[in-house]
Amino acid sequence: MKELLEILEALKPGVDFKTEQHLIDDRILNSLEIMELVTEINDTFDISVPLNLVLPENFQSIDSIYAMIQRVLDEE
Amino acid sequence: MAFHSFLYLPFFLGSAVLSYYLVPARYRNIPVFLFSILFYIMTSRQYILFLFITAVTVFWASQLLDRWNQDFKEKRRTLDKDTRKQYKLFYERKKKRLLYSIVLLNFLILLFLKYGNFFGSVVESLLQACGLSADIPLLSLVQPLGISFYTLQACGYLIDISREKYRAEPHFFRFCLFLCFFPQIVEGPIARYDQFGFQLQKERRFDPQQFSFGLQLILWGLFKKIVLADRINMFVNTVFTPSEQYVGLYVVLGAAAYTFQIYTEFSGCIDIVRGSASLFGLSLPENFRQPFSSVSINEFWQRWHMTLGAWIRDYIFYGISFSAPYQKFSKKLRHLFSGHFGKWLNAVIPLFFVWFFMGLWHGASWKYVLYGLYYYILIASGMLLEPLFFKFRQLFHIHPDHTVWRLISQIRTLLFVMVGMLLFRADTFSQAVQMLRSVWTNFSISRLFDSSLPTMGCDRHDMAILLFGFLLVFTAGILQKRNIRIREAISTLPLPVRWGLFYTGIFLVIILGAYGKGYDPAGFIYAQF
Repeated sequence: MKELLEILEALKPGVDFKTEQHLIDDRILNSLEIMELVTEINDTFDISVPLNLVLPENFQSIDSIYAMIQRVLDEE
Repeated sequence: MAFHSFLYLPFFLGSAVLSYYLVPARYRNIPVFLFSILFYIMTSRQYILFLFITAVTVFWASQLLDRWNQDFKEKRRTLDKDTRKQYKLFYERKKKRLLYSIVLLNFLILLFLKYGNFFGSVVESLLQACGLSADIPLLSLVQPLGISFYTLQACGYLIDISREKYRAEPHFFRFCLFLCFFPQIVEGPIARYDQFGFQLQKERRFDPQQFSFGLQLILWGLFKKIVLADRINMFVNTVFTPSEQYVGLYVVLGAAAYTFQIYTEFSGCIDIVRGSASLFGLSLPENFRQPFSSVSINEFWQRWHMTLGAWIRDYIFYGISFSAPYQKFSKKLRHLFSGHFGKWLNAVIPLFFVWFFMGLWHGASWKYVLYGLYYYILIASGMLLEPLFFKFRQLFHIHPDHTVWRLISQIRTLLFVMVGMLLFRADTFSQAVQMLRSVWTNFSISRLFDSSLPTMGCDRHDMAILLFGFLLVFTAGILQKRNIRIREAISTLPLPVRWGLFYTGIFLVIILGAYGKGYDPAGFIYAQF
């Protein structure tokens, strides 16, 4: 979780990722930032997030992003 | 059959709605389907064959993909990790082969019918440039109604099934209705199955509020189309007719007028479409969300033609960015170029395909390709210069959400959009460049005060109506931006006030509508795509 928080804070400084629950609905993260985020996640966690998991609900909060990473790790 | 015609609104839509409510709730898709087929045959006749090919191939492939998804899910429970990986790879390959073949087939139909002659001319020019003589004859191709919209909708559905976003629709006719629903087929919005298709699986009973809201939305759409867009059309046509007379300030006014025309027309059409769907108890996704309040070009495209933007984002941008080959390439790229430049490069490569597709989707000519690339250059350069903008804001202690800064950003975005609209509307790219050049070389503010403006297709009476309409559209936009639901607010008003408003709306459209002698009502611009 700590590594993920570091990635998010580097991606978009000034956002309180610990509490924010609507990163997509409130347009805090756009498609370009999602792309950058997934690339960073793939590199850091040595996984490959599949396209079918790149859904708005998986990027709404740090918890949902972390749950998605766990899911990919479990499946791999 | 135009949506704002007397044939469509009272007769066709009226008969469809009447038939819909005359049959029991569980059979109500049948009249909608039959009217959709009738609508298609009336407008495109034998070209319904192409729609049928898309429906059959995509439906068949979706059933297979869904079965393979389920097979794998069943099997994986009983398998150890290594065998599961092997099976996964096996199913993924099988799915990809089928998905790519069907998507390719449908895009080839679209490419041939819409872009056949354009590609022919490109090949001819290339051969001639190589010193080879070539004479590729022009084919008399007819573009089936809504092919650019239903092809994207069908392929998006198939990709979603392949990505296991939802289960496949088991009923062929229901799937066909998803593709050919008559209010939607001409100009979209491009819906996903989970946005629209699943509603067709439910029984829909008469909902007076939804019905009334639908009628109000149709009325609002008609006002935007007939009163505003068709009225300003004459002025736009005059400015964009190649001539040495309309230069400089006229070009600025023409670009602004066309921006207003295309917005009121396209969003007006989508209002009629969404309103028509509401009469059948159906809800379609929104396509516009106050686009002119955007502070950047990126944001503008998240608010303008939203369903097309979302389609391109999900299936082209993400499709390329997250593909295994691009991820490998991206790793090397970021290794080679670190920091902001590396990240920028990583994003702008897939973005090129996004904007190339966006441009080409709008039409088969270089003008549209360049229109897409214009936005690509704006977005890519904006991303590259972002650290500079950031430093500038820091230096002058400017908060990005400060009202004045937001206003400046909104005006800047609007000016860029107006240039984009000028490229879009001009007959050729070179005409657009000439017009733009004249803004710098032949600009004279005094033209505003001479007597030429009222002779350009809009007299003072038209200008007064346009100003009134502009203020109305502008106010509606502000209210929506503040999350004030206008139709809900109207429904709380006393009955006489409500009916007074509705009658005012109807009479405004009838009395102020730009039709009859002296007007040249335009067809829906997006209907040709």
